[in-house]
Amino acid sequence: MTAHFVDLLDDLRRRSLRMAGLVEEVVKQACEAVFQADPEMAKRVVQRDADVDAEEVEVECEVIRLLALYQPVGSDLRLLCTVLKVNNDLERIADCAVNVAERAKHVDARTLVGPYEDLRQMGPLVEHMLHNAVKAYGSQAVNDAEKVLSEEDAVDALYGQIIRRLVAEASASPAKIASFLDVLSVAKNLERIADHATNIAEDVVFVCTGEIVRHRTH
Amino acid sequence: MVNVMDNPPTPPTDAPDAPLMRIPTRRPSAKDLPPSSELVIRAERLTIRYGSFAAVHDASLEIPAHRVTAIIGPSGCGKSTLLRAMNRMNDFVPNASAEGSLFYRGDDIYRPGFDAVELRRRIGMVFQKPNPFPKSIYKNVAWGAAINGYQGNLEELVERALQKAALWEEVKDKLHESAYALSGGQQQRLCIARAIALQPEVLLMDEPCSALDPIATARIEDLIDKLKSQYTVVLVTHNMQQAARVSDRTAFMYLGELIEVNDTNVIFTKPGNRRTQDYITGRFG
Repeated sequence: MTAHFVDLLDDLRRRSLRMAGLVEEVVKQACEAVFQADPEMAKRVVQRDADVDAEEVEVECEVIRLLALYQPVGSDLRLLCTVLKVNNDLERIADCAVNVAERAKHVDARTLVGPYEDLRQMGPLVEHMLHNAVKAYGSQAVNDAEKVLSEEDAVDALYGQIIRRLVAEASASPAKIASFLDVLSVAKNLERIADHATNIAEDVVFVCTGEIVRHRTH
Repeated sequence: MVNVMDNPPTPPTDAPDAPLMRIPTRRPSAKDLPPSSELVIRAERLTIRYGSFAAVHDASLEIPAHRVTAIIGPSGCGKSTLLRAMNRMNDFVPNASAEGSLFYRGDDIYRPGFDAVELRRRIGMVFQKPNPFPKSIYKNVAWGAAINGYQGNLEELVERALQKAALWEEVKDKLHESAYALSGGQQQRLCIARAIALQPEVLLMDEPCSALDPIATARIEDLIDKLKSQYTVVLVTHNMQQAARVSDRTAFMYLGELIEVNDTNVIFTKPGNRRTQDYITGRFG
């Protein structure tokens, strides 16, 4: 029975990691769609969101089934709780990616030079954070997770800078308000993705050590 | 058919600023009690041998008052031996010997001249299989107190003990019937009542639910939860979920060694020792 349970846990973990890989890919495509103004890519991102949603429900059902049937404790309990939480974060990340992709046809690079350049920096930074969070989740490595936590400030700083620039430019060019809002929307969603990546990294620390590191000043 | 409108819901009478959601009240548990710094039993580098075999080796353990301490571990790890050492039940095992110290209320119970009979009155025991005497329910509970020269009202004592053991309502009309007519779960609660009638301070329970069905087990677990406000309970169990459900502290033993002792919450979420982790997750061996 125990060997069977261990196999089921391994299957679930692999499944959750596959979903994480899919979400990582979706975020990458959403950024490409915006920065390369590629509406076809944006459409693919929106279509793939349904796959992520379906997978999220499947993973959640499996976690509930394993909790009910095996009543795990210790590291097994921590792993199942973490899979459930990461599952939720991944689904939210995919939603944010859809929001980013939906702005692809609106963001006008030519008219928003300053904030758009910040946004161009923010995209790869967020992708990198998410990649490292997923990597830490796969290898259950606390060191990798802590690196992700230390990167959050840079994303927040860029987001703050984008808002300040938008406010300054919006008062100078009120006619471009729709474009400003598009940039703001992309920036906000990228910042949310970074927050979810941070959550995943915090959950990796929990699964490895049992310590809850949320809401601490990094 | 009942028309729900016959009994319309009563409108809330709370003040407008009353909280929207009421927090349901729950029965207080010993887990709600303040931390216990009072120690009832303390083992210090205790080794129990059967002949030359050390069933418990160099164990140090503290049992706090008004708490349930569970001892878990695989078969043959020494948990029942350690439990039985606490009221010197091992004295009845041929070739059993003890080294180190085991203190009850600061007094070493293995010192020469210690009164083991009085100790067993203060530290009662409930065994794996219900073992009522072949007598009436009443006599099962009253017998221990009677032979100990109890001067009070025996009927009141029996009623009180049966109430504390959550059995009174089920047996109050058949006190003079044979204890053997009771179900297994009722017999086990009778044995707990019998132990309680001696007014002990500590109850040692050696797998008290292993012979019971899930419903009888749930009743004993509820009872343990109630008893801990008045007694200190030490519970040996093979059932890890039971240890997790009813105990405040958990001790894990392996091959006669006490591997880890901590709050139950910690043992079952982030145990400090790899062997504890492997045992509770079923990866042992």
